[in-house]
Amino acid sequence: MLSGLTRFGSLYDAAVTRFGGRARPGVARDALWLNVVERSQVADGVVSLRLGGPALPAWQPGCHLDLHLPSGLRRQYSLCGDPGEDTYRIAVREVGAGSREVQALRVGDRIQVRGPRNAFPFAGLGPVVFVAGGIGITAILPMVHAAARAGLDWRLVYCGRSMAAMPFLDELPVGHVDVRIGRGGALLGDASPRGAVYCCGPASMLDQVRAEFSSRWLHFERFSPPPIVDGRPFTVELRRSGVSLDVPADRSALDVIRDFRPSVAYSCRQGFCGTCDVGGVRICVDRPTGDRLVLEEL
Amino acid sequence: MEPDNLVLQPRDVQFDWSTLPMHWVPDEPVTTHVMNVLHLLLPEGERWFVRTFQQAVPLISDDTLREDVLGFIGQEAMHAEAHSEVLDHLLANGLDPRPFTRQMEHVFQRILAPRPGLSEEQARDQLLERVAIVAAIEHFTAYLGDWMLNADALDKAGIHPVMLDLLRWHAAEEVEHRSVAYDLMCHLDRRYVRRARTMLLVAPVLFWLWVRGARFMVHADKSTRVRLTWREFMRASRRGLLPRLSEIFRAFLRYFHPAYHPKQEGSTAQAIAYLASSPAAREAH
Repeated sequence: MLSGLTRFGSLYDAAVTRFGGRARPGVARDALWLNVVERSQVADGVVSLRLGGPALPAWQPGCHLDLHLPSGLRRQYSLCGDPGEDTYRIAVREVGAGSREVQALRVGDRIQVRGPRNAFPFAGLGPVVFVAGGIGITAILPMVHAAARAGLDWRLVYCGRSMAAMPFLDELPVGHVDVRIGRGGALLGDASPRGAVYCCGPASMLDQVRAEFSSRWLHFERFSPPPIVDGRPFTVELRRSGVSLDVPADRSALDVIRDFRPSVAYSCRQGFCGTCDVGGVRICVDRPTGDRLVLEEL
Repeated sequence: MEPDNLVLQPRDVQFDWSTLPMHWVPDEPVTTHVMNVLHLLLPEGERWFVRTFQQAVPLISDDTLREDVLGFIGQEAMHAEAHSEVLDHLLANGLDPRPFTRQMEHVFQRILAPRPGLSEEQARDQLLERVAIVAAIEHFTAYLGDWMLNADALDKAGIHPVMLDLLRWHAAEEVEHRSVAYDLMCHLDRRYVRRARTMLLVAPVLFWLWVRGARFMVHADKSTRVRLTWREFMRASRRGLLPRLSEIFRAFLRYFHPAYHPKQEGSTAQAIAYLASSPAAREAH
């Protein structure tokens, strides 16, 4: 029976190649151009921007926007307004070149964006504890409002360096809000063991939450793969392409190869899915024991 | 409020099969084996999806779609691994699935492999046809995923909890990424004719493979004397343990509607809610 299917397959392929006609590609979705319609300082070092444009796509709590900055940098920011509004709001803390560029935008400037996209969907089931650290409140704030609106059993732990550095304190819904200065003590002291936890904050905060909550119902946002610790620099040699690339201690072979060839396939960037496997090497996490990694097939 | 703009992420799931009985829908050998066909078809099938889409990545000129496709590839790769572990468990418990899975290797590694000796343009066209075949199959996986998430009869029948979690986790991710293959096909070739002809190809072949697979499983299972018959299948689908053929046929027809889009099948919000409570997906961080 397989021989029949095999013959049919060859005939089908031959027919399609001969009579299939010419492919008509679809059009790529254009990035959106938005206007800065409002700019305000919402805390020490934190600027909030409202972006407007015609017919903005709808979004849900957990969504972020990709900003394509004039310098060529791309940065992702959580939408922190109300999904019912006709503008997008982001809030940006100054941490480097990208955020400085965003903070320098003025009312009337135009900016190219992509999205919104949701990498941190809120399932809307209670009981739920939200944990936000500093600027991480931007991703959490719309979820807190959604939970309050839906009448869920919710509480929020919001940590910061000082009250002056914590944005949106005045926008938190009335309810179980625990505002903390500094980070001493347990974060999830009274979390229901059957409830969900949504956390957005610095890596050290996430580590603490994971230690306290054994990860059963834990949701958190990852814009990037886990940081590489104890990495050593090495050289990756792509035999088929005939090039050698230097991989620094804090980047993966995949990161460096992507700069050279953007179409290289990968997915989880944590070493479990195997999409980026090249001859048995998972280039998203694997590092050689020596200082040279040879990939025959790339 | 459907979240249709999800960033797709593979989940590092683990399942423990040590307590799985041979008939994991209690007293329902036929239902069990009709669903076991998933484990026979999917590992090879999904690995072929992965290879096909890896070849298609360089053709994509839309950043959002490329991200979607990469997330899709990772999820499919995890599905393939999870289902092949069930095959290992069956083999260890005296049901050897290899005579059938070897045939699936032939289908997906030979018949559907890129053919040698083609010009660049022909090879590209053949790849587009493969992508469209995946899109047609994904229409059925989205339909089945939506069915699986809503099949309350399975809970009532006392199905083994780990297997139910595997099936619903997989179902939820199929619903989550149901638009990707279709969007990729339309990005590379938006002609109706390619969509329609690949569905006309896929539907009968898939149906035939399923019947053969179920028949093979029932024969290979020495612990039951039940035979796969239409009467048995109809009885199970009336109880809600299997989808109804008439519903599957209606889903098949929907694909031909000019305004079809996979978004219309199933609910992303429901998939997210399941993934937020699935034991395996919750452990996956």
